[in-house]
Order: sequence, then C-alpha cells, then structure tokens
Amino acid sequence: MPPQITRLVYLTLAIVAVYFLARGFLVPASFGQYGWYRGNALKEIAALPIRYAGRAACAECHEEAAERLAKGSHQGLSCEACHGPGAAHAEDPAEAAPKPENSRFCLRCHEFNLSRPAKFPQVEADDHFPDQKCAECHAPHSPMQAPEDASKRNAKPVKK
Amino acid sequence: MFGFFARAAVGAWAVSVLRPVKAVAQKVAQSPVARSAREAIQKAFVTAQTPTGYDVHAHHWAMAIDVERCIGCGLCAEACKGENHVLKEPFYFRTWIERYIIRKPDPRSFELRGETLVDSPNGGIGGFPPSPVRKENILRTFFVPKLCNQCEHSPCIQACPVGATFDSPDGAVLIDKEYCIGCGFCVQACPYGCRFLNPVTKTAEKCTLCYHRITHGLRPACVEVCPTGARIFGDLKDGNEKNPVRVFIENNKVQVLKPHLGTEPRVYYAGLDKEVR
Repeated sequence: MPPQITRLVYLTLAIVAVYFLARGFLVPASFGQYGWYRGNALKEIAALPIRYAGRAACAECHEEAAERLAKGSHQGLSCEACHGPGAAHAEDPAEAAPKPENSRFCLRCHEFNLSRPAKFPQVEADDHFPDQKCAECHAPHSPMQAPEDASKRNAKPVKK
Repeated sequence: MFGFFARAAVGAWAVSVLRPVKAVAQKVAQSPVARSAREAIQKAFVTAQTPTGYDVHAHHWAMAIDVERCIGCGLCAEACKGENHVLKEPFYFRTWIERYIIRKPDPRSFELRGETLVDSPNGGIGGFPPSPVRKENILRTFFVPKLCNQCEHSPCIQACPVGATFDSPDGAVLIDKEYCIGCGFCVQACPYGCRFLNPVTKTAEKCTLCYHRITHGLRPACVEVCPTGARIFGDLKDGNEKNPVRVFIENNKVQVLKPHLGTEPRVYYAGLDKEVR
C-alpha cells in the first residue's frame, strides 16, 4: 500500500479514537438510561423542595378540623387551598403555620362573576351584609352552618 | 459521468438493501422482549439514579379538566407559582386561567355567535374583574384552566436543537436545565403557549406536572388546591377502580386542545366550547 494511504488510514483511525475517547468523557453516565436524554435530569427535577404538604399530612395532627371539613359543604377543599402552603409546618410543627386570610379571601371564590358556573354559590359582596365578616355567620370549615364560637354568632344582619 | 451513475446505482442498491434491514432492526428494538431486556439492563446498572422507591416505567400520569366546574379563583395559578418558584411577574406562568366571553350575534346577521373575548389578568391570580360585556349581550361565558398539554408527539421536543427537552417514560414532558441553551425555539414551537424563557436562569420553563410532587406520592399543587375539583389527576397505569382520572374519562365526553395538530395531548378537557384554542 502506498505510504500516503497508510498515513491517511492511521490519521482516520486516530481521529475516530479521539472522538470516542472524548465522547466517553463528555457524555454523562446517565445519558440513555431512559431515552435520548440525561436520566439524572429526572432525579434532579424530582428533588425540588415541596411546599404544599397535601390534605393527608394536615389531617395527621389536625384530626378535628379535618373531620369537620369532611362533613360540611367545603368537603372537597384541600386545607392548603385557604390556609396556604404548609409543608414547612408539617415537617416541623414549630415552624409557623400558614394563616387563612380575611373575608376578602372568601370572595375570591364566592364573589359574583358572570363567568362562574350558575350553580356555584355566589354573593354580591356589596349587597350581602357588607359590614360583616363572612365568618360571623358562616363557619369556614362548614359554611352552611353558623360558627360554634359564640363571640362570632351575636352579629345581626344589617338592614338596608 | 460513468462514475456518477455507478455511484448512484450503488447508492440506490444500498438504500434498497438497508431499508428492510432498518425495518427489521426497528421491529426487533421495539419488540416486548427487547424492551424488557433493555429495562432489565437499565435496572441492573443504574438503579442508584432513579428517585428512590419510584419506578418511572410503572406510571403514566394524566390530567383532566372539567371546564364546567372552574370558578376562575386563580388558586391553581398562585399555588403553581409558589410550588415551582415561578417568577412573580404577570407574564410568567406554568398554568393559568383564561376567561372566555362569547357575545350574542348581531340579530340582523345569520351568524350563530358574536365576537369572542379572551382575557387572563395576571393569569387569573387574584380573580377576574366583572365582565366587560353586559349580561344581555353574552351568549356564553366560562373559565378554562390552561397548562402544558404533555403531548405524546410534542412539537417542543422536535424543535429543541440540543435535546434538552424530552418525554419521560411516565408521561411528563420535562426540560433538562443543564442542557437547555435558552434559544427559545421550543417557546415558538409550542402551539399552546405553555413555555417561557426564565430571564434569571436563561433556560426554558414549563409545567412538569409537579414532577417533584407526583414522584413522592402527592398530587400536583394546582390539583391539590383546586376548590371545585375542576382539575383531576391520576395514573393511567393504576388499575384501581377509583382512579380519579380514569373514572372522569369514563364518565365524561373528553376532548383535547387543537386535535388537528396531531400533538396528542395528555391533558383531557370535558365541557369544552369550540372557541377554546
């Protein structure tokens, strides 16, 4: 074989070898584990911190509230829908628990809006006892009932 | 001249020989035996890298949305931002709510319905203002929650030049932040407008179905906080009779967004109006 061809063959082999060597170093170990991507990416995404603990975690300690909630018309709600994210509190009870917000918060769902499903309970906030707080008449965990707390029950409807 | 024809002939021959070989190879690679062998090999060598106690091949997550139950409270969009550390500015959303207001048609015209207004102030976080159209002029109005449709044939995966976005075996379309170069092609490719570029990390971002929650046995944050059960989430590989998503899909006539694009979304909508895109 002519020497220039041999040299070309050696050069080609060397380039191919360098390519595979570099590839061995550059391609992450988990590449191709599940498909044409880095398998460790799944683990990294799955390792993000959790902020919402879930209803089951709340019910572990707050049994009474969970039971009351399960009986009322708010039974479909998760605790954290109103109380806010509570994973930190569930992890360590010393961490401050999230607090539900004021009456404005109830209106977020129950303020009248034309686009809401007609069967969903809604109020015109300006017409529906505007000077009172929602919790004076509606127990938040079971809103079709009056609150058990006597201090909140003495409120009277405002006459227009 | 002769050389060209000879090469073309050899090329044609090679293609005609290789095509059946390729087809056979593909069939072999996709056969159940090959798949189980591949999974066995992967399990034998790389179990240390899977999330502990979570088998990606044992799940296939799906989301369903009951449009008629959505009240537009925006809790889902807010919870999503909190859970996934999405930027607070009103134009970065992994999930959001749209309000559709369809006007009545002009009585003198032959049309069935009038103009459609769509708005989503701050993605629905903090609720919606009263309708800008008077009640008498509205034909129909409703809210539609939107999120990544986790397509079976994702245009965003096709568009990514570096293979940073991929379809995980459990039914979520995810982004590898380490690989993403922030070119934004996927943002343009997504027909549902579900992606955005994070100006801090300079990488693309989208709904992961709260992958960090579902791999730990929790529901996505938006499903967790939805007060009316408008969002339904479950595992299609879960044979349990009470599996919420399976029950919902059995009991409702579901459809997907933009079916004509052939993306085969894995987010199923019930009660969808034709105006919803």
